Amino acid sequence: MFKIKKFTFSISVLVVVILVALVGPPLYPKLNLSLYAGTPDTPPSNEFPLGTDRNGRDILSHLLIGIRTSLYVGVIATIIALTIGILVGSFAGFKGGVIDEILMMITNIIYTLPAILLMILIASYLKERSPLFVSIVIGVTSWPWLARAVRAQIMSLKEREFVQMSKMSGLKGYEIIFKDLLPNMASYIFMSVALLLSISMLAEAGLSMIGAGIDPSTESSLGVMLQRAQQGEAIRLGRWWCFVPPGIVLVLITTSLLMLSTSIDEYFNPRLRGGK
Amino acid sequence: MSREERKPLNPMLIYLLRRMCFLLATFFVFMIIIFSLPRMIPGNPLAILLRDILNRMTLQPETIKEIERKLFEQYGLDKPVYIQFVDFVSRIFKGDLGISFYFRIPVAEVIFSRIPWTLMLLVPSTIVSWIIGNFLGAIAAYKRGKATDNILMSIFLTLSQVPYYWLAMILLFIFAVRYEIFPLGGTWDTSRFITPSLTLEFITDYLAHYILPFASIVLSAIGGWAIGMRVMAIYELGSDYVVYSDSLGLKDSKILEYVFRNSILPQITGLALNFGSVVGGQLLTELVFNYRGMGRILYDSINKLDYPLIEGIFIILISTLLIANLIVDFIYAYLDPRVRTGYAEA
Repeated sequence: MFKIKKFTFSISVLVVVILVALVGPPLYPKLNLSLYAGTPDTPPSNEFPLGTDRNGRDILSHLLIGIRTSLYVGVIATIIALTIGILVGSFAGFKGGVIDEILMMITNIIYTLPAILLMILIASYLKERSPLFVSIVIGVTSWPWLARAVRAQIMSLKEREFVQMSKMSGLKGYEIIFKDLLPNMASYIFMSVALLLSISMLAEAGLSMIGAGIDPSTESSLGVMLQRAQQGEAIRLGRWWCFVPPGIVLVLITTSLLMLSTSIDEYFNPRLRGGK
Repeated sequence: MSREERKPLNPMLIYLLRRMCFLLATFFVFMIIIFSLPRMIPGNPLAILLRDILNRMTLQPETIKEIERKLFEQYGLDKPVYIQFVDFVSRIFKGDLGISFYFRIPVAEVIFSRIPWTLMLLVPSTIVSWIIGNFLGAIAAYKRGKATDNILMSIFLTLSQVPYYWLAMILLFIFAVRYEIFPLGGTWDTSRFITPSLTLEFITDYLAHYILPFASIVLSAIGGWAIGMRVMAIYELGSDYVVYSDSLGLKDSKILEYVFRNSILPQITGLALNFGSVVGGQLLTELVFNYRGMGRILYDSINKLDYPLIEGIFIILISTLLIANLIVDFIYAYLDPRVRTGYAEA
């Protein structure tokens, strides 16, 4: 698998980012998350490698913690969306009939309403602003596409002989789903995990930017950092160090996740490798 | 798979009716969500709403009483829940979206004064990005595996993963702050006391403010369209009919024409669908460029806790989206022979 360059590249980037999030904060000697840690609006210097923002926050400290928060939101939201998506999709696909109709009706309804709008709507009313809450809001709104895809795969898999055999040997429905069908979709599920992670981290940033995400006064995430830059007019004042670093990290993570998912796809579907 | 043969029009009608029922159901579910959300805040919802308003502005005691009375009336909190819901829905269908807490004028007025600006920004930029994206995607597919494809694809992949609002920030920073080519945002130059009108002066000023947000939306959307088109076209290029036509010795250009026609169909659906969701997906562009559209007031309404306005914006956005969906269904039913003959549904 490491023969696919994209795979090696994206995995290395992700490992580095995760390492930075885990060991970065304890290793950075000047970690300081408080307001007025330094002179406001100073460009990168030896004292503050990424400068400070309008309120004197040390950007590097907040970036290190922000990556952590963003990854946390991504992981929790992905776990939630993955669980709902797989359960709904596999039950609908396997059971068929009325259960399928009802589950797919619900799925399609949520699918038709754009997830980001639903998230903003829910988050703007329920004014809880913790990372956990934001992850839950993202998780419960971003599963429909997965449910549809899982259902489609289950529908085609369940006609195969080995499933018929399991049925004849008296295995229960959920046993067939978990022992026969889902393992056969492992590559697809891995791909979905990568996509879900990227979707939820972008969603967190978008939510925080519009003011319906994580509380910027208590926590930092990549989205919160962009939101602070936007609110503090950092762009118009030319304080590039406030919004360039969090954006680059975000793009690095999401692009690697996308590359990871396409390289998994290429690995398991050699037809996609095309002209090589 | 094909259903029983009937008169040629029937399957299409059935398909459209089913889709209409589905979209109505979606609208209904959305209504339930938007109806129940304010009622899910624990405690006395009015007290909490009032506190939020008071946190944001200082009001005379008489005004507070007045607002409380208005809120009570608006939510009809003394009636049973199902009657409240019926009232709520019928009020919306009458076009009554309540009064904005912040602007103190009807929500519908606030929204409709901003919609044209949003449409002027979103419609042209979406169409342009769709055309460029499909064109480049088709080229990449045709040259698949070669250097052109690799370069184009890495650009598209990155572009599609760059958060559009960050791209907007970067463009604003480079072209307005660093090089001062374009104004620092806004919709028109308010310091020059010009008002929106069809004069040359206003239009040139508006265009100067327009180019950056326009470019930012086009750039951020191209990647997605191009990737979609490339996938579709490559899939078509590998399909049996292409191999067969090729072995028959059909001209490349003829085959490409077929491929293009077959792969553009889902892209058309995507375009029409996107007009609805693009509004949700580009809300923050307006914020970054300080452009006076729906995204800008949604941001303001969320941060000022202007609930009637939040509610109104969402009702308008979702209704637009569902209507766009319905239009797509009509186009689709018309364009796709499989739907026409009742072979498959979307």
